[in-house]
Amino acid sequence: MEQQPKLTGKDQGLILRRLISYLTPHKKVITMALILLGLTVVGDVLGPMLIKTFIDDYLTARNFPTGPLVGLAGAYLFIQLSNVVISYFQLLKFQEIALKIIQQMRIDVFTKVQNLGMRYFDKTPAGSIVSRVTNDTEAIKDMFVSVLVGFVQSAFLMVGVYIAMFILNVKLALVTLLLLPILFLIIRTYRRYSSVFYQDLRERLSQLNAKLAESLQGMSMIQAFRQEPRLKDEFNDINEQHWKAGQRNIKMDSLLLRPAIDLVYALALIMLLSFFGITSFNNTIEVGIIYAFVTYIDRFFEPINQVMQRLSIFQQAIVAASRVFKLLDEEELAPAQANTNAHIIDGKIEFKNVTFSYDGQTDVLKNISFTAQPGETVALVGHTGSGKSSIINLLMRFYEYENGDILIDGQSVKDFKTKELREKMGLVLQDPFLFFGDIESNIRLHNQNMTADEVRTAAEFVQADSFINQLPDGYKQNVTERGSTFSSGQRQLVAFARTMATDPKILVLDEATANIDTETEVAIQSSLQKMRQGRTTIAIAHRLSTIQDAELILVLHQGEIVERGNHQELLASKGLYHKMYLLQNNIVEETV
Amino acid sequence: MKVFLDLGWFFKERKKQYTVGIIMLMFVAFLQLLPPKIIGYVVDEIRLGTLTSEALVKWLLLLAGAALAMYIIRYYWRMMIFGSAILLARQLRERLFQHFTRMSPQFYQKRRVGDLMAHATNDLSAVQQTAGAGVLTLVDSITTGGFVIAAMAITIDWKLTLIALIPMPIMAYLTSYYGKLLHNRFHFAQEAFSSLNDKAQESISGIKVIKTFGQEKEDIQDFVQLSDDVVQKNIHVAKVDSLFDPTISAIVGVSFFLSIVFGARFIVAGDMTIGDLIAFTAYLGLLVWPMLAFGWLFNIVERGRASYDRIRALLAEPIDIDDAEHALDEKPQGDLDVNIAEFKFPGDDRAALHDVQFTLKRGETLGIVGKTGSGKTAILKLLLREFEGYDGTITYGGHSINAYKKERLRFAIGYVPQDHFLFSTTVAGNIAFANTSAPLDDVYEAAQLAHIHEDILKFTDGYETIVGERGVSLSGGQKQRISIARALMMKPELLILDDSLSAVDARTEEAILESLKATRTDETTIITAHRLSAIQHAHQIIVLHEGTIEEKGSHDELMALKGRYYEMYQLQQLEALVEMGGEA
Repeated sequence: MEQQPKLTGKDQGLILRRLISYLTPHKKVITMALILLGLTVVGDVLGPMLIKTFIDDYLTARNFPTGPLVGLAGAYLFIQLSNVVISYFQLLKFQEIALKIIQQMRIDVFTKVQNLGMRYFDKTPAGSIVSRVTNDTEAIKDMFVSVLVGFVQSAFLMVGVYIAMFILNVKLALVTLLLLPILFLIIRTYRRYSSVFYQDLRERLSQLNAKLAESLQGMSMIQAFRQEPRLKDEFNDINEQHWKAGQRNIKMDSLLLRPAIDLVYALALIMLLSFFGITSFNNTIEVGIIYAFVTYIDRFFEPINQVMQRLSIFQQAIVAASRVFKLLDEEELAPAQANTNAHIIDGKIEFKNVTFSYDGQTDVLKNISFTAQPGETVALVGHTGSGKSSIINLLMRFYEYENGDILIDGQSVKDFKTKELREKMGLVLQDPFLFFGDIESNIRLHNQNMTADEVRTAAEFVQADSFINQLPDGYKQNVTERGSTFSSGQRQLVAFARTMATDPKILVLDEATANIDTETEVAIQSSLQKMRQGRTTIAIAHRLSTIQDAELILVLHQGEIVERGNHQELLASKGLYHKMYLLQNNIVEETV
Repeated sequence: MKVFLDLGWFFKERKKQYTVGIIMLMFVAFLQLLPPKIIGYVVDEIRLGTLTSEALVKWLLLLAGAALAMYIIRYYWRMMIFGSAILLARQLRERLFQHFTRMSPQFYQKRRVGDLMAHATNDLSAVQQTAGAGVLTLVDSITTGGFVIAAMAITIDWKLTLIALIPMPIMAYLTSYYGKLLHNRFHFAQEAFSSLNDKAQESISGIKVIKTFGQEKEDIQDFVQLSDDVVQKNIHVAKVDSLFDPTISAIVGVSFFLSIVFGARFIVAGDMTIGDLIAFTAYLGLLVWPMLAFGWLFNIVERGRASYDRIRALLAEPIDIDDAEHALDEKPQGDLDVNIAEFKFPGDDRAALHDVQFTLKRGETLGIVGKTGSGKTAILKLLLREFEGYDGTITYGGHSINAYKKERLRFAIGYVPQDHFLFSTTVAGNIAFANTSAPLDDVYEAAQLAHIHEDILKFTDGYETIVGERGVSLSGGQKQRISIARALMMKPELLILDDSLSAVDARTEEAILESLKATRTDETTIITAHRLSAIQHAHQIIVLHEGTIEEKGSHDELMALKGRYYEMYQLQQLEALVEMGGEA
């Protein structure tokens, strides 16, 4: 369920202007398309003129000279035919422009997303970001294709028709100008109401779908707790609200769209006929001109009707665009890096009085200081929420910190280029994420310079090769969405290989836990042991037994380091670590 | 057109609206014939100089009257027909939802939520289209088309009508041909769009990995390529799509040209007047819409039929597990006796369970351990009566669980699933899910038992905090504990924890187990777990392996057996024990 932003008329104007600014790079093609459009309008306007000439000069006079008539017919057919061809290319061009604009917009949004900081991803559900990239931009495309182009076409045609009418009869043309304010009024009224009623309908629909999706996902719970009647009532209620909103919209559309425009059309006919009728009492009138005016009025209303039908698309697109622009203007960027040539050589890590808060209110890290000497392992232990992951998040530059500093080889982490940091630091996440592709592409990622041998070496190093070799297609085995066909242990091994393939100087481990069965865990632990050799390692340990050989163990509690030392020292001090250790082993004592 | 028959029940239900709506549509179609005719008459009278002011006023009043009448009638038929169509959507949606609530987990296992959603949204809107725009195009293309042709042939000239109509079938043919072309190309464009969508989805879910490996630029490059493909496929669509308007105007143009050329000859021959010719060309303009509507109609009907068939098939899905005729209307209570010779999941050749026998006394706790796929969840699913059709019996308090009313059985069981699903409502609403009107004290009590009370108090709005996408994001452990509290609210006779403590740390796990032990003395509890610490205290532990019980007994007995349980335990504790030995 997505909140619909409330937009004032001024907001909408700004959004529209910004959307139109996307047209600038396509100036040339647009000019060409507009010229084509202009030509079709000229054709549209000339046709009735020719027929008027035929009616007045030849038909009424019963005068049929072969030469001029053939010329007239030829001209008429030529205009019609070329109009068909030109309008095809003009339509195609406009669609192409719209598609290219949307592509650019999508790339802009996607690039922006890649440059956002983790804070943004914390507070925004993935689904809604995806909607910004694809669905919202698609809604904007529809607007460019069917509304903006329609607007331009109508405007051109309107101008063309008025020019023709002014040429034929200035007085009548002036009278028909009266139609414009009427049409304008209808469009404005419709826009005013639809921005309320149509928004309401969209909101109810999204509520309806959200409720349905959630109920389907949680159906087993609903049934287990026998809440079917309650959920049914809740759903029916939303369904009824949606239906009522739908009725309001039908009413609004019926009053203000096609029927209303057709009514104005009839008014236009009445104007024409009364003008010609009254004039005919004193003057003679060539009937061809009546024909021409009737036809022009007809043409004039066609595109207006089309645009009116599509105004709701416009409304939707403005809302979609406001969301897209909001994302593009998002200021929660990934932490900036200084552009120096500093290199990570030894891999010494130092935290100096680091204090950090995600929300600016509660500190999740308080005055953290420690040093990891090159090649050493520093283990972080503590309960969930004690701040272990935050330490890793800061070291990896996922979040910006303000107080204290983190140094690598004596340089602030802020001073390294992102590339240097990413190349020299390898992070293994708790939840290994596999991409669509195959095993090899998951180890290599986008690094095309890596040879197949290097991929294999990395996999062998972390002992992932034994399971990979057993797969029917080995390293080319397909990986479906998120690697769901592999066990979490196997996914973790692939993630290890991915990290080892880059041969990092510093290893950061967020240890895999509960979901892996004991046997796989043994394999994973022995791989981890190997990976840590010769690398500075920062490791989060959920199971104390896995980090007992660490040079330094930090016990975290509510964002503070409450104990530090190696395993023996910590046990001897009989503090929190000792208690945690006993807790994990007491169970053994009770039962053994 | 069969879909109109299939929807007959609804048309009958809304007979009045549809009858009135259709009659109104026909009336509008008739009124539409007036303006061209009036123009024709006025033109002729002007040309002959016979127009009087009375006649002019008469014609203009008639025109104004017709226009006003059309406005009013158009408003009403829309309310009748489109209003009925959205009512149909509402009714079907309600029925679908009702049906969904009756379907068994088996059903949800073979259907994905996304597909079911698609039925309830896309298919429903296609059916709504059929009952609205479908009826409109059917009636309108026949009546408007018929009336206009009749008016042309009868009131003006039938020969000229025939001549003018010659190109029209070509238009119908071409537009339906384009439609087919478009259909395929559109399909490819949709596919390209959905790969782009998948790509965006994946990149955003895996953003941490991408950042970790510094692959932002490469990933953007990937995205650019996919978006290029989207553009190409859509231009392909546009190439056909842009054919429609020019083709229509070409054909209408030809028809127009023929009318003028031949019309002029008829005028010269004295068969018709110039006013007739102008009226005739205006009628031609009116014919475009019914032609298009006819092509459109087939499209709507085709989609509507496929969609309605899918919805009907869905509604026809039988409710798998229903109560027996004289089902026991009492609370299941007492010992639980499980005796399963064999059970296969539907559509699976492999037995998920075989030779599983155990008895659990009232008030006892059973621990079930085993690797993923060993059959732990299968046993629970049978207990919950999510599946039937196994070889064997499960009795509760001396009666087969199938003999109870499903309602009663569910009332007795508090189930905490592996994938803790919470609803997007308040924390309190989630805990009191089974009884939204429960006093808050009960909610607090359940939360305290599940050791989540303190956490909840720390949320911004405490128990009133909204859970889910638009609210607080909870950790896995917090979700699990809220799920446990939700089950405890029911004070269930049988509590089932399906690996529900996996994301909770050791201390909290122990505290929860302690409070369960203290409060659930008379009730039965079943716990499945990977971590043995969660079930060590159980009165009885069964070790499952490949669908059958390999070992059974208390923790001490199983340890003494030195079998699989012992091995698992050793593996989990091995390193710790070694260290202990070295240090202690």
